[in-house]
Amino acid sequence: MAKTILAVDDSGSLRQMVAFSLKAAGYDVVQAVDGQDGLDKAKEKTVDLVLTDQNMPIMDGLTLIKNLRELGSYQKVPILMLTTESSDEMKAKGKAAGANGWLVKPFDPKRLIEVVQKVIGS
Amino acid sequence: MDMKTLPTTELRSLLATVADHGKQHLVEVEADLLQTTFLLSEAIEKLGVSFMAVHEAVTAQQAVLNSLMITHQFDTQETKKLEDFKKKIGEEVNAAVTGLQFQDLTSQLLVRTIKRVNGLKDLLNELGNHSDEIDPEHEHEEIAKFLDEMSHSLHAGSRALSGGLRRSVDQQDMATGDIELF
Repeated sequence: MAKTILAVDDSGSLRQMVAFSLKAAGYDVVQAVDGQDGLDKAKEKTVDLVLTDQNMPIMDGLTLIKNLRELGSYQKVPILMLTTESSDEMKAKGKAAGANGWLVKPFDPKRLIEVVQKVIGS
Repeated sequence: MDMKTLPTTELRSLLATVADHGKQHLVEVEADLLQTTFLLSEAIEKLGVSFMAVHEAVTAQQAVLNSLMITHQFDTQETKKLEDFKKKIGEEVNAAVTGLQFQDLTSQLLVRTIKRVNGLKDLLNELGNHSDEIDPEHEHEEIAKFLDEMSHSLHAGSRALSGGLRRSVDQQDMATGDIELF
């Protein structure tokens, strides 16, 4: 059974590219348009990996991670940030919030898949 | 020139003119930026749709070729040529996926610029709205107070504007970003 990844990003084009890359590698993808939508969808179905942007309306990525980590079912689910933010300060905040990794946009599809496979397997 | 009174009216007129002209230009800048954002977004959306359609067609074509390779005898040279095409298509697909993401980055920069333009319009409003009457008996003191207040107001507005507009995109080239696992 294919593993499911929740992709959270307010940019439609970015979500489209993330979903395209992950589906091509055999993963199922659930898409969410902001942190709140991501949290709602994560509660509907526990996914194998969360890939989230940081700067989004309604709820940002760091807040989403903190909220997910408070849910029992998401304490050990890997969460990766995929964002334009690249400062050490932001990465430290992400790590403190419970992120397992930091990917700076734009991503290379091949490298994205390598990382995802490393974190959750094929 | 012997000036008995300060040119208060002229000073106010100058400030109002600076504010009006500045705002007019900023309105144009804002309109252009909004139009650019819209056109860029539409263009990338259309490119994305075309990219998906092309990829779907190429994938289907590849499946047909794979079937043909099983049922027909292809010589080594032909097989290698097809493998090279497949590899090349894969590389170009990766490059297209990377390229299509730049709309997200440029969009963030444009939104930040539009917010700054709006902030500047507010600051110029502040400049043009100082129209209290000045008592001729205390002209020097009042004009100094007026300028001081305006300076503070502009300073505070500018600081608030900068504070609320943290830079979130540092990308300077077309390279892909770093990856770090914690």
